[in-house]
Amino acid sequence: MMPGWMPGSIAAPPSALCASLAGLGVLAEPGHFSLVEKLLLVALVVASAWLFWKRFGVVLKKILESRKDPGFKLFPLGKRVWDFFWEVLCQAKVIRERPLPGLAHAFVFWSFLAFALVTMNHLAVGMGLGFLDPAGAFGRLYFWFAGAFAIACAISIGGLFVRRFIVRPVWLSRPALPGHEISPESGIIAGLIFLLMATYLASFWVADDSLAARALWWVHTLSLLVFLPLVPHTKHLHLILSPFTIFLSRGGFSQIPALVGDEDFGLVTGKDLTQLVSLQAYSCVECGRCTEHCPAANTGKSLNPKEIVLGVRSYLNEYGPTAEELLLGKYNSQEAAFQCTTCGACEFQCPVGIEHLPIIVGLRRGAVNTGEWEDAHGSKLFLAMERNSNALGMSAMERDKFVQKQELPIFDGSQEYCLWLGCMGGYDPKGREIISSFVEVMRYLGTSYGVMRKEKCTGDPARRLGNDLVFQQLAESNLEAMSQQKVKKIISICPHCVRTIQEDWKEFGAPPEIEHHSEFLARHKDRLPYTNTGEKIVYHDPCYLGRYRNVYDEPRSVIAAAGTLVEAERNRERSFCCGAGGGLAFLGEETGKRVSSVRAQELVATGATTIGAACPFCNTMFRDALAAGGENPPRLLDIAQIAANQIKSAQLPQSAAKPQA
Amino acid sequence: MKIIVAIKQVPERDARIRIDAAAKWIDLQDVEFMMNESDAYALEEALQLKEAHGGEVVVVSAGPERVGQTIREALAKGADRGIHIESDDLASYDALGVAKLLAAAVEDEEADLILTGLQSDDLGLGQTGVIMAELLKLPHASLILKIEKTDKGIKVLRELEDGWFQHLELPMPALLTIQSGNTKLRYATLMGIKRAKTKEVRRITVNDLLTANPEVKIGDRVLDLEKVMLPNKQRTTQMLGGSPAEAAAALVEKLQFEVRAL
Repeated sequence: MMPGWMPGSIAAPPSALCASLAGLGVLAEPGHFSLVEKLLLVALVVASAWLFWKRFGVVLKKILESRKDPGFKLFPLGKRVWDFFWEVLCQAKVIRERPLPGLAHAFVFWSFLAFALVTMNHLAVGMGLGFLDPAGAFGRLYFWFAGAFAIACAISIGGLFVRRFIVRPVWLSRPALPGHEISPESGIIAGLIFLLMATYLASFWVADDSLAARALWWVHTLSLLVFLPLVPHTKHLHLILSPFTIFLSRGGFSQIPALVGDEDFGLVTGKDLTQLVSLQAYSCVECGRCTEHCPAANTGKSLNPKEIVLGVRSYLNEYGPTAEELLLGKYNSQEAAFQCTTCGACEFQCPVGIEHLPIIVGLRRGAVNTGEWEDAHGSKLFLAMERNSNALGMSAMERDKFVQKQELPIFDGSQEYCLWLGCMGGYDPKGREIISSFVEVMRYLGTSYGVMRKEKCTGDPARRLGNDLVFQQLAESNLEAMSQQKVKKIISICPHCVRTIQEDWKEFGAPPEIEHHSEFLARHKDRLPYTNTGEKIVYHDPCYLGRYRNVYDEPRSVIAAAGTLVEAERNRERSFCCGAGGGLAFLGEETGKRVSSVRAQELVATGATTIGAACPFCNTMFRDALAAGGENPPRLLDIAQIAANQIKSAQLPQSAAKPQA
Repeated sequence: MKIIVAIKQVPERDARIRIDAAAKWIDLQDVEFMMNESDAYALEEALQLKEAHGGEVVVVSAGPERVGQTIREALAKGADRGIHIESDDLASYDALGVAKLLAAAVEDEEADLILTGLQSDDLGLGQTGVIMAELLKLPHASLILKIEKTDKGIKVLRELEDGWFQHLELPMPALLTIQSGNTKLRYATLMGIKRAKTKEVRRITVNDLLTANPEVKIGDRVLDLEKVMLPNKQRTTQMLGGSPAEAAAALVEKLQFEVRAL
């Protein structure tokens, strides 16, 4: 079981063992090295470094030869330093998502850090230049310190080996590639790491200057020198790259870079791959957390976010960053790229700083901006947005009628809020109900608001599907209308509108302040009449409110005031998409299982009698899924409807009481 | 194959229509404009023929400066160049007048095929294309759904009434007016818009056009617009009686032939 430990302990004479025990363990050193040994060591180190560079140099060249990221700013450094500290040094993301293997990984990582000094000294000893005296105060202390990590590391790497090769979680594999189910190199690497730790620990138990000490020293050295060139050839390249990937990230969640110049249409060919994309592609450690959380990969679609990133890597390996071969071709398929709901679970989970969304949306941009993507539903959506300026393709007159019927005041600059209806709120029957309920709440609170006389879609579906032309036209026209009307504060029932207005419009101007109605409702909760009925209500986190906006507690506080809040198995940061995002609500039938019905079943399984939603798209997806799901489905209400119902039921007893009085 | 597509810019479908003071036309202030729908289908047909057989697609349109935007849109979708007949008072011409202008502008192009939309979304006369064909002495067919190139010329599918169709063969050059809805329109792309910037648009004023073609005489209007009014909207409810089976049959018939939803 412990090949490094066994020879050491056997070779050590009992007296030496006793001596070292008596000396409370001093790391044994092999003593004097002959010239032949020294020459051999130099030759091996040079060979190992050369083998390392032979591959790493190629990778580095591919990254550096990629296009520079336009708009990339290194400063301010504050967030970068924090991310580096938290995600790299503390391993926070690695541990949070998968605590046990995460901790095991963290111990391996921390041991590597602790071993930096040990390893330097180890090689120096071979040249007769050792600088840490094992018997000295510092040396003894440091070698113990490293020894403690070595024990943790040996246990951890053993555990990780068992997990990878015996437990075999499906996410670690690459089922699409025959013979690549689980990469065997990982086993060799794990063995080497174990050997490194075992030989180190064993050196505490043998005598200084003994044959055993010398043997352990050489085994340790050889393990190290075999390990080094394996790093750039395997997924262990992340050891070197991912600290940079995390430090150099774009900084925002799902941040889609602006297109620059007349020839930038997104990720079309290798020439469009930027240094960050290439760096990220080579950083992937194939852990499969992205796949584990991906709604498409979990419902039988061909999209697998890990394979998208590895597809870019394979492209770089074969064609390089200056190639004119289409990116959506041999290694990545158009079909997969357009199955993404942009829910962001992948990017949110990635422990090595890969930003999947800019890559996936970038690939879509490349296909849509050049007209390569032909899809009947997609074309219909784009034409509806071009011609009718709303995603549902309805006449603007329909919105006017709704505004008139509901007697919604027109925003004229005097009101506090501009109530943004959005395509769902303005045209969709269910979305209109949400607006009506929210308006009731605002009226109850005496909040002044008005709606735009004319509203165009924020461009969200176009943005996520990669149609920059439509997105730009809509964003610019809306921004102009808002500046004309002097809109300062917007409130919206749709997390997609909120995100697109606040973040994506920035590319074309300064958008007004915007908030989601859940934030408004939570802020005014104390002024609303709530009677907690104790009814079980399950809350579904919309991707664009949770992961995209970090709003988790506000909508929950509204629900908790009206009933008993229950949680679905996957909630908050790990919430599972409803299937509508990324323009997919408009793209027709899915392959595999419907994302919406998978999620609806999870919500129903909580036993809640009401599903609380906070996004009109989630709402419409679940409405259909519940209708198809079976008998007596739970009620489906937006949090605005929950709040409005509370007002109604508070008013009922009063009005009922009046005639009696 | 050289194809000319005549397109018209019309008020946006959702525009709030107000009648102008003289009740002769709609008030065009605050109105946004778009490409006439059936012209968009004519352009799509032309682009598909070009993709299949090669050649060139030229768009021609008449009207004030804003028409340039619609021409650019056509170029962005894939047309190769444009001809803009500049006129600030296009409404003063009737269909014959406009057809004369268009015919004069494209005559020298010697195209193999001229396509127009079936009719305009604003006036809806359905005349301009066929008059143009007569002026250019070209064979023509209207209400075309499908165009197929043959060795001798073209084979087209024409929509008749009540679900009837007609197959016709025409020699080239010819002029066809295209019915909406048979093909899928392509969406405009960023690349298309950027490429369109460098494509040629020839601008020619009505005066220059008439000077260059002295044989063209616009003459008096033969068609006058008396009065424009908004449609009088009324809702009526019709109850379908009889047994459920009879009511269902009556409903299907109405959906099929009145609403044309089936």
